[in-house]
Amino acid sequence: MPQPLPSKENSLFKQVVKNYEAKQYKKGLKSAEQILRKVPNHGDTQAMKALILNAQGNSTEAFELAKVALKNDVKSHVCWHVYGLLYRTAKNYEEAIKAYKFALKLDPDSAQISRDLAQLQIQMRDYAGFVQTRMAILKSRPHVRQNWTAMAVAHHLNGEFEAAERILTTYEDTLKSPPPKSDIEHSEAILYKNTIIAESGNIEKALSHLEAVMKNSLDRTAVMEMRARYLLLLDRKEEAQKAYRALLDRNNEYRSYYEGLEKAMGLDRSDDDSIPKLTELYESYAAKSERVDAARRVPLDFLQGESFKTAADRYLRSMLSKGIPSTFANVKALYKDSAKRAAIEELVNGYASERLTNGSAENHDGDRSANRFDEAVLYFLAQHYNYHLSRDLSKALDFIDKALEMNPKAVEYGMTKARIWKHYGNPAKASEIMNQARTWDERDRAINSKCAKYQLRNNENDNALKTMSKFTKNETVKEALGDLHDLQCMWYLTEDGEAYLRQGKFGLALKRFHAIYDIFDIWQEDQFDFHSFSLRKGQIRAYVDMIRWEDHLREHPYYSRAAISAVKAYIMLHDKPHLAHKSLTNGFTDMDSMDANERKKAMKKAKREQEKQEKAEAERRDAEKKAATKKPATGADGEPKKEDMDPQGTKLAQTKEPLQDAGKFLSYLLEFSPNNIEAQNVGFEVFMRKNKYLLALKCLLAASSIDPENPTLHEQTIRFRRTLDKLSEPLPPPVAKVIDFSFTLIPSSISLSDYNDSFLARHSESTPHIQAGLKVRQLLDPSSQPRNEKDLLATLELDTTELQDAKDGLSLFGEWKSGQDVREAYINGARKRWPEATVFAGA
Amino acid sequence: MAEEPQPPQSTKAPPTLLPEKTSAEDRKAAAALSSLDARGEDDDAPAGKKEVDTEALGKAMRGWMSRRTGEERGGKEEGCGQVEQLELSKAKATELLKAHEGDAVKAMCAFVTASA
Repeated sequence: MPQPLPSKENSLFKQVVKNYEAKQYKKGLKSAEQILRKVPNHGDTQAMKALILNAQGNSTEAFELAKVALKNDVKSHVCWHVYGLLYRTAKNYEEAIKAYKFALKLDPDSAQISRDLAQLQIQMRDYAGFVQTRMAILKSRPHVRQNWTAMAVAHHLNGEFEAAERILTTYEDTLKSPPPKSDIEHSEAILYKNTIIAESGNIEKALSHLEAVMKNSLDRTAVMEMRARYLLLLDRKEEAQKAYRALLDRNNEYRSYYEGLEKAMGLDRSDDDSIPKLTELYESYAAKSERVDAARRVPLDFLQGESFKTAADRYLRSMLSKGIPSTFANVKALYKDSAKRAAIEELVNGYASERLTNGSAENHDGDRSANRFDEAVLYFLAQHYNYHLSRDLSKALDFIDKALEMNPKAVEYGMTKARIWKHYGNPAKASEIMNQARTWDERDRAINSKCAKYQLRNNENDNALKTMSKFTKNETVKEALGDLHDLQCMWYLTEDGEAYLRQGKFGLALKRFHAIYDIFDIWQEDQFDFHSFSLRKGQIRAYVDMIRWEDHLREHPYYSRAAISAVKAYIMLHDKPHLAHKSLTNGFTDMDSMDANERKKAMKKAKREQEKQEKAEAERRDAEKKAATKKPATGADGEPKKEDMDPQGTKLAQTKEPLQDAGKFLSYLLEFSPNNIEAQNVGFEVFMRKNKYLLALKCLLAASSIDPENPTLHEQTIRFRRTLDKLSEPLPPPVAKVIDFSFTLIPSSISLSDYNDSFLARHSESTPHIQAGLKVRQLLDPSSQPRNEKDLLATLELDTTELQDAKDGLSLFGEWKSGQDVREAYINGARKRWPEATVFAGA
Repeated sequence: MAEEPQPPQSTKAPPTLLPEKTSAEDRKAAAALSSLDARGEDDDAPAGKKEVDTEALGKAMRGWMSRRTGEERGGKEEGCGQVEQLELSKAKATELLKAHEGDAVKAMCAFVTASA
């Protein structure tokens, strides 16, 4: 229990607490020390001092002192609470929960401790614990509505729908008179209850409840949407129709209302009999407004043949005559259907030739609307021929040049032109054109970002940063780069990292990928504030949505993309640790040709060089620090920023355990994106290197369920079999058993080479598959190399071969250490086929 | 911070021992401390503002409490030697084993083929 203090010290102690609250850390520290001179072992004071130290950033010292405080006064809830707070700021929530629980046992009535505990529990998704804590809080303070609502949230998230509903009803029943209509907390709580009823599966009850409360609900849209949905679920189609029509009157661009209405009318887009009625439905909505897009665009999804062509003609003409630049983006989703793709191509080409034939006839100068139409047509065609499903880059270039003739400084035309060059495989020219287009409108942030992206694709990291800096504040320590981190500009960080990876700068690449990883951590962290904020504001439905969204946070493609790149980088570092040393990575390959001794020497030399560099870097930093003003570096939020001791990521790249480090990225990747086949592919590589055969097998099986014919999977499956066959020590019997049971991808009756031959035969028209097959053939029988080289060369003749495939093919020659003549033949062939691409130009 | 183990006292602190009456000053200090990082959760909703019917609430509380039955589940720990091949946490491994009647081979098979 807290030790009593003499009265003078006691008032000092209160001062310390006040100082801490007011962030007057220096004063607080002074007073605390004054108390401790008199009462050296006063636990509470020590704890307070620790708290202040922690706030000043001396976390290690703070923890040590807090431990001393606990030793002096193990029964003080203050000490335990502080201990919990320290763990909380250190983000070790499990330990923080334990400490809070002790504090709470010592002071069960403390509302603050219970609330802190509850927040940690929900943050950790300890639903059962959360229920318990919220219950205790409710018992001690039943007069606060929030506590009832929070109790309901706890039950709800714990899957106890009935209990949650009952809690809310119980509270409602205690209200003497209905709260005023303007009481948003009440209105939201009622709607929240309604969602709980619906989630429990009792739609009938949800509907009748909703109808009883809807006239007092403030969120009109939500009520109408919920009602329409319930009616549809209950198959009350007449009423559902009315409900969706009422919604469409409010917002006639919202596609899901149209979908609801279709269902309510019993219409089915895949059923021919429905089509006339669907057409009629959409026409009626199109007739209501000149400007509505959805009612005109949606029919293109379900119409076919002639009626599609008519509708598309009408749609495209109206869009293009208005000169709407996003027209192509609006219709490109239709291109999956090749008949529709052809129809659109024919239509728009028709517009272009109309222009040519009529051009002389109606040659009014200043006919702006005709000009606008012509320009839009050219722009549309350029995008059309640039799109991967309808690609013809020389035509695309032709059209965009014509469009640029008409309007030489149109930023989006410049962007498209740069994009065409990107698709040609010439990132240098693409970057140059994009940069030029950027200068046409320097206040356009969109093209500024695009420009930076294209510069990164061309490995111009410094230029890209300069470009980005035109729109950042550049006041933080690391200037633009620091801003981009603060702004969580993930596309930039990812592209930057990938550019560094392409250049073999592993440290910087990993640095960026770790930054992405950290941003996702921050997003997870960010929900902390809302555990109390949302309750206070009474926005419970939004809160529950957020909690659920957070649970799927790392499904985001930004995460998987950065994670896959990071894992790949770590695999490379594991296979060739010398890559971590900048001076050894020139050209990537020269190390492979050295013998072990030479390699060792080179490594040593590299390390020495690096030490030298590091020293110089440290000196430079010191000098900079001295030169800089006394003002401490601060971030965007005004908080002092810690200096980054490893801005080049050297330590990241020189890790002793690259596979372990890869695991950090990999575990979330496999957990949240199990259907990403590339994730499974890289997972296999990591687990094989760690000799975790069951996990490697799991990746194989998962990949096979996504795409059993995946080329990488094929190659990995065979490697897996071979590795198991060649193990020097047998696997533990249970593991062997599991593999026997589960590894059925290769039938045991067939030899590996026959298996591979049939794979090659099955996929004789697909270059990635052929490459995988050849890789396997080389692995099974190194003497087949000349044949493999010949077959690889032949893939250049396949129509389906893409530029990227050809690049992969080239690196395969590197893996096989093929002779110069074969490589040259391949490069010449590739250059002939992709004359504009830069990869083969200088190779 | 993984390198900060729970101090040994933590296990010794008798959970039933509540602090006896402390001096009023101490209580205040503690209260002040407790409010250090308060976000003013319910300070914004002072009692009375919403016409809380105390009596009705009291009744509601009693009714609600009598309905609740304390239910707490305790997790048993079981041996799970082989399952470490799967890089699972101990809790997850135990769960997996439990779901398959403690049969390691069955459990691992199920785990490996889960997504297939």
